[in-house]
Amino acid sequence: MSVLTNEKYSLPKEHSTLGNIAIAFAYFLTATALATLIFHLVPDNKGNVYIIYLFAMILISKYTNGYVYGIVSSVIAVFCINYIFTYPYFAFNFTLDGYPLTYTVMLSTTLIISTMTSHLTEQGLIIKKHESQLREAALEKMRANLLRAVSHDLRTPLTGIIGNSASYLENGSRLSAVDKDELVRSIYSDANWLLNMVENLLTVTRIQVDSLQISTSLESVEEVVSESLMRLNKRHPKAEIHARVPDEVLFIPMDAILIEQVIINLIENAIVHSGSDSPIELTVTNLPLEVSFSIKDYGRGISPERLLTLFDNSAINIDDSPDCRKGMGIGLSICKTIITAHHGKIYGENHAEGAVFTFHLPKEIK
Amino acid sequence: MNHKTTILLIEDERNISQFITTSLESEHYRVVTAATGEEGLSLAASICPDVILLDLGLPDIDGTEVITQVRAWTLAPIIVLSARSKEEDKVSALDLGADDYLTKPFGTSELMARIRTTLRHTNNQSGRECFNTGGLCIDYEKHAVTVDGEEVHLTQIEFKLLCLLSRNSGKVLTYSYIMENIWGPYMDSNNQILRVNMANIRRKIEKNPAQPRYIFTEIGVGYRMLDEELPDSTKSST
Repeated sequence: MSVLTNEKYSLPKEHSTLGNIAIAFAYFLTATALATLIFHLVPDNKGNVYIIYLFAMILISKYTNGYVYGIVSSVIAVFCINYIFTYPYFAFNFTLDGYPLTYTVMLSTTLIISTMTSHLTEQGLIIKKHESQLREAALEKMRANLLRAVSHDLRTPLTGIIGNSASYLENGSRLSAVDKDELVRSIYSDANWLLNMVENLLTVTRIQVDSLQISTSLESVEEVVSESLMRLNKRHPKAEIHARVPDEVLFIPMDAILIEQVIINLIENAIVHSGSDSPIELTVTNLPLEVSFSIKDYGRGISPERLLTLFDNSAINIDDSPDCRKGMGIGLSICKTIITAHHGKIYGENHAEGAVFTFHLPKEIK
Repeated sequence: MNHKTTILLIEDERNISQFITTSLESEHYRVVTAATGEEGLSLAASICPDVILLDLGLPDIDGTEVITQVRAWTLAPIIVLSARSKEEDKVSALDLGADDYLTKPFGTSELMARIRTTLRHTNNQSGRECFNTGGLCIDYEKHAVTVDGEEVHLTQIEFKLLCLLSRNSGKVLTYSYIMENIWGPYMDSNNQILRVNMANIRRKIEKNPAQPRYIFTEIGVGYRMLDEELPDSTKSST
């Protein structure tokens, strides 16, 4: 979100002194040229000349940094008008009727405009700074949450791997073949689970850490879905998944690897947590501005207290169920991060016979 | 087989090279291992292996460099083993001349299937008349395609695509390889047209485009067609 809002404020860029002078000079010259032209076309109306210079002063105040350039150029403008455009031409004469008034009005107008624009700029800068602080805080929070979740989730399988392999090495001679098999099998399953987690973490590195930005390209929805299902099938060959995609070929902007990870996490979640072997349904729907993906299981559903903090890492410690290490913690919070980076939305809810997780991806990312 | 198929394994991680060697030897392959790229290159030249398994992250020279050097003098199939999950690395390895890739970690059965596929493709280059797998039949001569006995009507381009994929079944083909073979070398690099054609083919030959049986997508890399069923092949389940 912060990425978008930044673009709304078109703050003047910080220029060097030389750059500022160049900008002021350019506007000034243009104004003089324009004024000369108009002065020759309509010699009777000197008001035009003033208006053109005033306009140039406003532009100078707007596009340079600070007040100085506006004011200095306005003083120069006053002299310039006197020298070029008032009788006697190409000579100074400050005794003309009403000239002091022109001088004062022009100078004070420029002064006010300069002050106003530099104020605006300053406020813009403050807002920008504030925003980047907020963004940093959000990122910091995300990182801290992730790290906490990772250390929590990784410790358990590692303990299993170390313990099981140590007991195999130490008691190898006394163990029966069945016991050995059991130990190795459990190492195998823990290692697989770790791999899954590492893959999740790797996907997160694809998101630009400083801005939550991702690089998207147009991807075919059905190809992303089918590849996710294939990868899932390797890990859970017994799980039954029914997928449905729209008849029309849909190409939407995304980072396919990340979206695959989201689909895999959500379906894996359903396999592990639904407590049911009923087929899981993945439905892709083509909406006017978005494409929605929903993963529906027919299991025990999500507990009401869990619903509130579904995508929040803080939930992992609450869960004291025995399969806690396979907690939804990291998986779901990574889904949330990925979908947010795509400017989409994700939510989980219960339906009559189980849980359903849905995420929407916009068809166009502005 | 009257002589043992020789496999050269270029891999610097001892643990990994050990487990691959063990599983390959149990399948009666002869395995020669090299721990560095230089060693691998000189072994490749001296033993002329039937298949080269190559890790991309070697300590001395980059794996892609090994591919280039090996390809300079032999067509022996190279299967890349890579821990890198970046698609660009896979694509560049394939475009440099590697035959296939496996992303670490992989299972033994997956490795065996890939080795069998590459070996079959190098031994069996002769033009065959038809292709048959899991209910899909392609008759190259008659330009006819049937799925479970029912005829499928494909456009010229779709048929060419299907032929290209089936002649390389079991092997991944990169987008650029397919583009160049179907549309010629002057096509721009945008592969949207390819993906739209693939989507149309899927709608004609697959029951469910989201769960294809015949043509699999490897996003960011290319497409892979289900390996052909050969009467004498002993296909292990993956």
